[in-house]
Amino acid sequence: MSSGPPIRRRPTGPVRPGQQPQVNVIGRSIRRFDGKGKVTGETPFGGDLAGPEAYTALVIRSPHPHCEIEDVELAAARAIPGVVAIFTGDDIGGTNRHGLIRRDQEVFSRRARFMGDCLGLIVAATPKIAQRALEAVKVSYKELPIVATMDDALAEGSYPLHETGNVLSTELIRRGDADSALAESDVVVNTETRTQCVDHAFLDREAGMAYMEDGVVTIYASGQWIHEERRLVALALGLPQERVRIIQPATGGAFGGREDISIQIYLGLAALKLDHPVRIEYTREESMIARHKRHPIRIEYTLGATREGVLTAAKVRILSDEGAYASTGPAVLRKAVSHCTGPYRVPNIHADGVAVFTNNNPTGAMRGFGACQLAIAYESAIVELSRVLKIDVVELKRINLLDDGEGVTTDQKIPVVGVRDCMEAALRRIGWDKRSYETPAPHLRRGYGVSTICFGVGYGDGFPDASRARVRMADDGVVEVFTGGVDFGQGLHSLAAQIAAKELGVDPLAVRVVASDTHRTPESGSSSATRQTVFTGNAVRLAASEVAGQLLDVAAAYTGLHWDDLELRGNAIAAKHDIAGHEDRTVVLPLRQAVRLGRERGYALDVESCFKPRTVAKQKGTGKSPRAFITYMFASHVAEVLVDIETGEVKVARIVAAHDVGKAINPQQVEGQIEGGVVQGLGMALMEEVVSEGGFMKNASFTDYIIPTIVDTPTIEALVIERDDPEGPYGARGVGEPGLIGTPPAILGAIADAIGTQVHETPANAERVWKAIKRSERAGDGASA
Amino acid sequence: MTNASGVEEQTLTLPSEQEVEKLRAAEATWSLSFTLNGESVELMVDPTETLYDTLRERLRLIGTKGACLEGECGSCTVLLDGKPVTACLVTSPQVQGRTVVTVEGLAKDDRLHPVQESFIACGAVQCGYCTPGLIVSAAALLAHNSTPSVEEVREALEGNLCRCTGYTKIIDAVLEAAGDEPAVMSVGGEK
Ligand code: FES
Ligand code: FES
Repeated sequence: MSSGPPIRRRPTGPVRPGQQPQVNVIGRSIRRFDGKGKVTGETPFGGDLAGPEAYTALVIRSPHPHCEIEDVELAAARAIPGVVAIFTGDDIGGTNRHGLIRRDQEVFSRRARFMGDCLGLIVAATPKIAQRALEAVKVSYKELPIVATMDDALAEGSYPLHETGNVLSTELIRRGDADSALAESDVVVNTETRTQCVDHAFLDREAGMAYMEDGVVTIYASGQWIHEERRLVALALGLPQERVRIIQPATGGAFGGREDISIQIYLGLAALKLDHPVRIEYTREESMIARHKRHPIRIEYTLGATREGVLTAAKVRILSDEGAYASTGPAVLRKAVSHCTGPYRVPNIHADGVAVFTNNNPTGAMRGFGACQLAIAYESAIVELSRVLKIDVVELKRINLLDDGEGVTTDQKIPVVGVRDCMEAALRRIGWDKRSYETPAPHLRRGYGVSTICFGVGYGDGFPDASRARVRMADDGVVEVFTGGVDFGQGLHSLAAQIAAKELGVDPLAVRVVASDTHRTPESGSSSATRQTVFTGNAVRLAASEVAGQLLDVAAAYTGLHWDDLELRGNAIAAKHDIAGHEDRTVVLPLRQAVRLGRERGYALDVESCFKPRTVAKQKGTGKSPRAFITYMFASHVAEVLVDIETGEVKVARIVAAHDVGKAINPQQVEGQIEGGVVQGLGMALMEEVVSEGGFMKNASFTDYIIPTIVDTPTIEALVIERDDPEGPYGARGVGEPGLIGTPPAILGAIADAIGTQVHETPANAERVWKAIKRSERAGDGASA
Repeated sequence: MTNASGVEEQTLTLPSEQEVEKLRAAEATWSLSFTLNGESVELMVDPTETLYDTLRERLRLIGTKGACLEGECGSCTVLLDGKPVTACLVTSPQVQGRTVVTVEGLAKDDRLHPVQESFIACGAVQCGYCTPGLIVSAAALLAHNSTPSVEEVREALEGNLCRCTGYTKIIDAVLEAAGDEPAVMSVGGEK
């Protein structure tokens, strides 16, 4: 294995306790304030909140992927001592429905459309008794035909899974005239890419508790958008929203997997009906069976170019497996279609996408959200084109990557396109021009792959996407930040503290963050779509800078100095520069005193702000939009792999990931997001696959669903590129998803470079790689050395 | 009583505290004693339950996590007689008379273990769910090998899954705790 040059870590170390807080807190790796509780094990996650004093709830799930429930026989279970109650659809007061885009899933199903559908809820005194009751429940049902695959779903006379049939939604892009442009192109390549179903596999299983407090159903559970979850719980249970309170405990990962509702309604119902604390915790198997997944997508890609390698047109057909319910499917399909040509200049585009229902797990949000499947497809077409044109893939990219001000797939013009900077930085780091194909053994082949990708930030497409945040000065002079945005490890709450600290001149570690409680914090939207740095970051900045302005006014009135000569720093208001009597830039007013004075003068020092940038809905008939997303992220990854041509096994030797994040507010956290995304991408590229046969999930365990370990993972070399974003706080653009998106195409490209042929189906596990090698040997072009 | 849809509603009479106590006591029939984080403990457990459940449910030590409960993820790692084991695969009677250290036993009088310190400093904590198990595994490694190589760190932590960090900063943290400079690359800020 070759290793990179011995480059030392840049000293962006965390602020140690006792160290002086710095005025410039943006761009520094402030240590996260939730670190200590997490390393000592004190921090409670959802499953840690309630002990045996709470009742245990257990979900009765469908015995079959598609069936009409005739009867759920509960008498025997109810007779077991210690069984407190068993709830079914008859016990629920509201709509008994949920779903993020369509309310198409019943809380308690009468007709099950996948194995995870819930038929009832057992509540018992202990987990053991609940388990015994579950075993005593008898379900009788009528089997319905199983729609196992997308082809089944689209087949003539297929059994309709929903009243609207088996097509959930369609999307398109029409730009220029792709058919004529392809006809006139010097070369045209065709690829077909199939991506797999992937599980989020966050470690913290769905778990939580609920109880009644003053008539309010109080639910501790981990989601991604607590205010939306409150709306869904209230609707399903038939309660006004004020009677539902959701509090998010520490959350062990999400990655899109907590966007659909999970345990919240069950917990709320049981607490409401029993007026007693109730807890619930899925097993790993249940977590994997019940939760939505990443869409498997099939992509037919036709790409045309001139002899010189200039792209002329793309024709793309996308077919996406929705599974049993809509979830966020229509948005995922739109994201896939609207990102179908990635960061390339393609003047003519003709793209169609169709999302179809099957009896598999519902598919919905997962990091990458349709864009990562398409990145695999367009990069595969680029590799194919490079082979046919005999133009090095990097050269081909240099010819066709977008420049500042040019339009992406939707024809939205992007002012700052950092993709070339990313690619050149990544190539320099890997040592592209001097790359070596030497291997330690004759059965090994080395290969290198380069990806270049883009990703629209936020919900976009005209959705009223907003974040609110509140900043107030407490009487003790402490800065408090209130946000409803949830942190499942990505560091949003530390980021909010850092931004408030910057604006108010205090130590970020001294900021008090009140977060993720629907009764105490304003709605900050979803922690998804790579949006929180920009959205909640901006909302916090707006609120904090207004509070800062009020404090300056107070100090100006008190000192007689002009507010513009003052600044907030070091827990005080101080003179900004040399002004008479303040040559040494002395403190004019400690913060605590300023707060007292301000309150006396009627300043609330308590501001709630909203950041709600508008986007523009897609144009009918073309799918174009002048502003589909508020901004775009760009990234480039280079992977180096070693392939064992006897077994097909792939070892990733190096991955360099260069991301234009606009501005890294906390570089260490930014690197952490990139590195984590890369390893999830490595899992998607090489090993992870939810296997379903006839609607039955075959590998619902960590024994059978394999995610990367530390041994599978090389050191990730994250490069942070900073080209200021005009919309983001301090120029920041977000970082969550692209780390994943850039990885599979880089690894697949490296495999193709190593073995001389592409693997078009993910994951590229040993079997598929081996088969690709054999196929190309038979075809006579052999593995390149 | 029938509800709006004409279906008979179950009568919801909650069991009394005493009844629940009795049901719980009926499950805990085994008297267990062992040394936990330096102190001897004695309690009644269900003889079929795992050490994971005993620690969390009966002793309310929540630092031991459980992502899989089938020995695959390492998030429940504790030290049994000094060796890392997955608490979800150990039945509680197996620890009779033995010594168990959990993550709660690593910090001494509010002074964090060096691995705990370095995990925070190096950004090796994101969601934190894998963290206690990783810290216990890393502490066990450093206890017998104070200058591990990157490959030795990988080997020692192979049984601990992390879905958030990408492992790079975890390796940084273990090496830093070992008193080494982080020997791996991870650079920010290339313009
Ligand atoms: S919970 Fe014990 S190994 Fe996963
Ligand atoms: S930090 Fe989330 S699983 Fe490791």
